[in-house]
Amino acid sequence: MTAGSVGAGAYGFRTVYGRVFAVAVVGVQGRLITVEAHVGRGLPALTLAGLPGAAIQDARERVRPAVESSGLTWPLRRVVVNLSPAGIRKEGPGFDLPIALGVLAASAQVPATLLGSYAFAGELSLKGELVATAGVLPMAMAAAAGGLKGVVVPEANAAEASLVEGLDVVPAPSLAAVAGFLRNSWSPPIHPAPPRQNDPTSGREVDLSEVRGQGMARRALEIAAAGGHNLLMVGPPGAGKTMLARRLPSILPAMTRQEALEVTRLHSVAGLLSGGLVDVRPFRSPHHSISGPGLLGGGSGFLRPGEVSLAHHGVLFLDELSEFRRDALEGLRQPLEDGRVVVARASGTVEFPARFALVAAANPCPCGYEGDPQRMCRCLPHRLLAHRQRLSGPLLDRIDIHLSVPRLSRTELLGTEPGEPSEDVRARVEEARARQRTSLSGTPWTCNAQMPGGLARRHARLSNAAESVLSIAVENLVLSGRGFDRALKVARTIADLMGEERIGEEHMREALGYRAEPSAEEMTQAG
Amino acid sequence: MSERSSGSSQEVRLRRPSDLRGEGGRRARRGSRADGSALSWPERFAESERDRSALIVLLHLASLTPRRLLELAQERRTAAHCLEAVLGGETASESDRALAGSVRPDEARRALEPSGARFIAVGDPDYPPELLDLFDPPAGLFVRGSPLQGLSPRVAMVGARNCSPSGRDVAATLARALALAGACVVSGGARGIDAAAHRGALRAGGRTISVLGCGIDILYPGQNRSLLREIAGAGAIVSEYPPGTPAEPFRFPARNRIVAALCRAVVVVEGARGSGSMITADHALDVGREVFAVPGAVSSPLAAVPLELIRDGATLVRGPADLVGDLGWSVTTADSDALAMGAGARPGGGSAFGRSLSASERAVWSALTVAMAPDALAGAAAMPLPEVMSALVGLELRGKVRQIGGRYERRLEGSA
Repeated sequence: MTAGSVGAGAYGFRTVYGRVFAVAVVGVQGRLITVEAHVGRGLPALTLAGLPGAAIQDARERVRPAVESSGLTWPLRRVVVNLSPAGIRKEGPGFDLPIALGVLAASAQVPATLLGSYAFAGELSLKGELVATAGVLPMAMAAAAGGLKGVVVPEANAAEASLVEGLDVVPAPSLAAVAGFLRNSWSPPIHPAPPRQNDPTSGREVDLSEVRGQGMARRALEIAAAGGHNLLMVGPPGAGKTMLARRLPSILPAMTRQEALEVTRLHSVAGLLSGGLVDVRPFRSPHHSISGPGLLGGGSGFLRPGEVSLAHHGVLFLDELSEFRRDALEGLRQPLEDGRVVVARASGTVEFPARFALVAAANPCPCGYEGDPQRMCRCLPHRLLAHRQRLSGPLLDRIDIHLSVPRLSRTELLGTEPGEPSEDVRARVEEARARQRTSLSGTPWTCNAQMPGGLARRHARLSNAAESVLSIAVENLVLSGRGFDRALKVARTIADLMGEERIGEEHMREALGYRAEPSAEEMTQAG
Repeated sequence: MSERSSGSSQEVRLRRPSDLRGEGGRRARRGSRADGSALSWPERFAESERDRSALIVLLHLASLTPRRLLELAQERRTAAHCLEAVLGGETASESDRALAGSVRPDEARRALEPSGARFIAVGDPDYPPELLDLFDPPAGLFVRGSPLQGLSPRVAMVGARNCSPSGRDVAATLARALALAGACVVSGGARGIDAAAHRGALRAGGRTISVLGCGIDILYPGQNRSLLREIAGAGAIVSEYPPGTPAEPFRFPARNRIVAALCRAVVVVEGARGSGSMITADHALDVGREVFAVPGAVSSPLAAVPLELIRDGATLVRGPADLVGDLGWSVTTADSDALAMGAGARPGGGSAFGRSLSASERAVWSALTVAMAPDALAGAAAMPLPEVMSALVGLELRGKVRQIGGRYERRLEGSA
């Protein structure tokens, strides 16, 4: 790791070659990149080679003013910067700093001693300040994996970079400071290590105890949390669907450090990180106008994680489910099945983790008042039918718990006590999860919702009474094959919550109370 | 009740302010026989083939309302002469005159054939005489199915299209009882209460007539297409509009007068304020038919019309026994269970249903007096929610309760 022989004078330009490590982020993976700079003869110009993306092309305009503002000299010669390996496309603004340092090294303005043991990342302002940059956590991870001693990152990103254990993190405020660090004339202030946040209740503003009434919905949330089931809430506007969904993360088991790191890395890549470790399960509720790439990940140029990945290990809430674009909803099938999203582009395939609890909400009809005893539904039949058809199909097959949430009248709300706090519910959920891990040991699944339909039956452990309830249900209620499997899984979770070895009659019946509404076709026949 | 019922001999049960006001009420605006404006169709108005063909052309003209045609017939005497008057620029709109001029009468007649419609003109032996009670009786009817004389006595059942599931059950149960008592159920073939009434009658093996507000070959609304075909097979489909006439909003209130006039009584099941059910009941009043109404909760918007009718003097119907009894009929004992409205059944006792209930199911059933969310039930029955849910699904599996928008309610017996 040399920059040629270090020249004595800053303006001698005896050195012509410099080399610096940077990290490109592909998906959520960092990849170590060598930034080479050459200062040669020719008219003053800066050329970038090695598949730079649009944001890196921009760096050409930023780097020279930043260097000059930092009291350093831009070589008025022909500068060529090469990003190697040239085969992969590099994206992101984090290349400003390594390019600047490459040029400074090639023009012998900084010594090469430390350049070989640190990776550099950060976007530069024209004044030479380092501004917060997305994706620093995966960059730091890649640097550690590549055997480097440390990383030099913008101050604002120091907290996330220091999540990587055993890595020397140098938080730098500016290009001048980095140059000083390389010249051994500046050292970073000693920051106290950021407090490790292991208290699972920290950062939560909402609690289940704030919900009045809605006992059935609270129960459904508890079952959904315990078995990892997806949940659909159908109810009129103002029934409290959003308020209920927002409280699901508060009753999910606390995240492990590994899970928290995965979430933090995704949020880092998306540029959403404001501090260190994200240790609260994320709650994402994208608006229904969101595009397919916005929901699932992708976009032109830099492939960003979508909302499904930002909800990784947390809750994805889709309000007004029927209003979402069809293609976006279709795309949800893969993450719901595999817990990941694969985005294919000409430049290659990128994979983002996306294992989330889906909570969907919908109005019962376009006007929202179908089935309300106090208000008339004014929807025309074809619009009602179209609404129901949009709410059916393969996505709904992957939602185990269907719940009708009525709008409570004032009298119904009066006298209802505030409910149990999230903490108590979470304790039961964690117990039920532990039981599932035991009973599903030896299988690839960790919770009931993950069991494939056909195999649910083998693992369900039905009592005879529950078995007969199920067969009556198949006959008397219109229960499809998939509906059968869903009821079975939910009943298994209810039994786990109750600490029962076998599914009893009452568990089976309660589970059937959360079955899907009749399909659009059945509704037509009812006239 | 196949004989023509005359308005004067029929007891008019309703007393409503608008009747008493005379001038300002709905009846005064529309006119009635009592106003002295009663006109009758001339003898031999549409007896000859030429007249019948001319009448079909006249019925195609939207601007020539039945009342205008009736007035025109007073001076022109036959349908063919009326058509000449229209072609000569009298009464009808410009576009209708052009239409009447472009159609050859015998072609219009032949065009009926593919639709399978029979044409009945006023004065024909199978023209229902009850329709002559109307202020504006139709000059002709298009019929598919059985002859109308055989389909009697007739009772109309009308109500909301956007009905509640329990309203649907009530309509079906009442229609079933009427069918078992030998009556023919008449309705409008719309979705909601209309469809439930037709279905209830058909499932009991009864006969039913659907009066459409469009051509009888249109089968509107589309979702009731198969039902309408079934009605044509077991009863009849009737319309005053020629085949091919599209379904348009203004024709439905006009259709209601035929529903009311064809029947001895009109039963209103559910209707929101300002709905067509009220129009049908008004027409029934005009022609002196009995009006029955099934009440609902005062808080339910769908109970607005029945409750208003009851307040004005319509007969309150609690169930099939009330209705069939008030009409002076009986059903055979074998079918007497059709007269029970099961929603009021008491558990416990000696009934098989009561014995089949578990303790928690019995508690939930007793507490479930109105549509309730499981939470509210848990409070009312003082039971934990999971147990309430389990009991509700147990009752649901037996077809005793159902869930609507997150609230559970009792179902009517035999409506499952």
